Amino acid sequence: MKEKIIDRGHYVEVPVPAGAVVVPAGRSLAVCDALPGPRAYALEAGASLDLCLLAFPGESAGTELTVDLLGEGASASLSGLYVCSEGEFSLKVTVRHRVGGCTSNQLFNGIVAGSARSAFDGRIIVAPDAQKTKAYQTNHNLLLGVEARAETRPQLEIYADDVECSHGATVGRLDEAGQFYMQSRGIPEREARVLQMISFLSPVLEHVPEGRREEVAARIEQTVRSL
Amino acid sequence: MDANEEKDLLRNFTQQEYKEGFVTEVEQEYVPKGLNEDIIRTISARKGEPEWLLAFRLDAFRKWQAMEQPRWGHLDLPEIDYQDIIYYAAPKKDKDRPKEIDPALAETFEKLGIPLKEREALAGVVAVDAVFDSVSVATTFRQALSEKGIIFCSFSEAVREHPELVRKYLASVVPSGDNYFAALNSAVFSDGSFCYVPKGVKCPMELSSYFRINAAGTGQFERTLIVADEGSQLSYMEGCTAPMRDENQLHAAVVEIVVEKDADVKYSTVQNWYPGDAQGRGGILNLVTKRGVCRGSGSHLSWTQVETGSAITWKYPSTILQGDYSSSEFYSVAVTNNRQQADTGTKMIHIGRGTRSRIVSKGISAGRSQNSYRGMVRFNPGAVGARNYSQCDSLLIGSECGAHTFPLIQSRCPSAVVEHEATTSKISEDQLFYCNQRGIPPEDAVGLIVGGYAREVLSRLPMEFATEARKLLQVSLEGSIG
Repeated sequence: MKEKIIDRGHYVEVPVPAGAVVVPAGRSLAVCDALPGPRAYALEAGASLDLCLLAFPGESAGTELTVDLLGEGASASLSGLYVCSEGEFSLKVTVRHRVGGCTSNQLFNGIVAGSARSAFDGRIIVAPDAQKTKAYQTNHNLLLGVEARAETRPQLEIYADDVECSHGATVGRLDEAGQFYMQSRGIPEREARVLQMISFLSPVLEHVPEGRREEVAARIEQTVRSL
Repeated sequence: MDANEEKDLLRNFTQQEYKEGFVTEVEQEYVPKGLNEDIIRTISARKGEPEWLLAFRLDAFRKWQAMEQPRWGHLDLPEIDYQDIIYYAAPKKDKDRPKEIDPALAETFEKLGIPLKEREALAGVVAVDAVFDSVSVATTFRQALSEKGIIFCSFSEAVREHPELVRKYLASVVPSGDNYFAALNSAVFSDGSFCYVPKGVKCPMELSSYFRINAAGTGQFERTLIVADEGSQLSYMEGCTAPMRDENQLHAAVVEIVVEKDADVKYSTVQNWYPGDAQGRGGILNLVTKRGVCRGSGSHLSWTQVETGSAITWKYPSTILQGDYSSSEFYSVAVTNNRQQADTGTKMIHIGRGTRSRIVSKGISAGRSQNSYRGMVRFNPGAVGARNYSQCDSLLIGSECGAHTFPLIQSRCPSAVVEHEATTSKISEDQLFYCNQRGIPPEDAVGLIVGGYAREVLSRLPMEFATEARKLLQVSLEGSIG
């Protein structure tokens, strides 16, 4: 199904993926779900999407997420967390700002442990004349385990000038100073690690609908304890 | 500012002349057009090269033939007819005065501000190797340098006089089959600079190469090899210009840098090849492979580049951080205007323990240009405690240009830390208003803001280059307010 589009250094207009979930003008949609499978959303004028994706060990595979902002004033908030301990995990996020005046926000945090390999590929595309666009993307990774591998590829493709876009990506380890602080106050090393991992994932937790937050938080704790 | 005024400003800007665009009338000798093994043999014979170097060229040519031109760049690269290029052009030597530089050439470099006579004004400051089309015409201050044991000469001379060094290091950083353009260069390279700084020597002056394309229908394939032995120190600069022509000219260079234990190399480029006209006709296709290896522990390599010229730039100065605790930096300002396209960035490959790298890239796109940062940071499993920080900012001037960021981060080492951040925005109206309000005209205000934006990079340039680079930035962006 994948069309081969030859990038020759210019903006390439591609169709909205078939089967995309359309969020009609002025409506809002909130989704909190497990990750697998390809997903596509198309947002009309003034529509908003609040999407939170969760991937825990064992249930994570390749995922593709596409969000098209079709009408002025649409806004998308995409967030997700992934914890992997083995196998390959990949997440590809494409956000297309086709018209001006839209906002998109991405926050994806992941813990890669054991022998897992993770690949995050995020792309923001701002079409020509999509002025007043605001698009942000963040991807943080914690790499735990000598056999683990993390790869991140945050990309910006911008063809309009009156925009505010940024992305940030990190791959790192648990903060030693923080661990020392906790240990010097009587928190065992293992507990300190768990606390740090939870706090690393917690910004994503804020995007989980309130009704489900406790359940997800419990799941996170249980998962990081088993790492 | 009203629309008319803006239009005027833009017009002024696009009609601005490229002041290095003149042609030098000098008798030149060429090899026939086209590329085949005979041409390579001819080039090699003309340069009086030893057998091993011809074999190296032919081997590279065979590799090149089996390769395909890369298409992954975010570039609209025109089809290049490799049979329609003259691969060797050299100004004829006067038989009566074989030792002297042709006055026309001396005048050309004078006009470009490159002193070939060791004048007092610049004495002891910069040594220059001047390359005109396919040959090096002069290298200054060789005597003073050789007293310290430093070898600084044209590549061809190095092959004749120091074959053991050339043979040891040639293609040790960029193998002949590394990529399409590096293979092409390895097959047909003409001249470039060679530099060797022996153990523990601190180079007393800046070394510099100046590349000039003059002849029509030719390509320039320079090859530069820099070796800094244990504990030595070197600052090297590179500049380049070409005449204005309606057709594209190919420039495919290879630069290799070897940095041994505790040595420190700083490599600076101000790239000002002819960028083509406002309609995108002509200009240099700058397809370059630059790579350094920090081979020994504690070694350091710093890249600084200011890219303002070329119709198309495809260039990724990279560092392989092999030695433990070695470090590298990449500072870049890339300015594109009209229909220029740039796809440039760096690669930092961390292999050794405790290696550190830092990337600061500032892209400025105006007119209808496309400007991309493409970079890679990789930590191998052995890069214990390695660290990278990357910052890539893009500034957009005008609604028809594009700015793109394509970084790739790969980590296989849990104790390594990498951070990447990028922003894209236009010149803030508040800043412009603030300047205008205080009597600074819009053009100067843009210059001021861009100057401030690029300062972090410009301040890394050697003094001789910094002034030129600042001027270039001003010229490149005057009046291009969006």
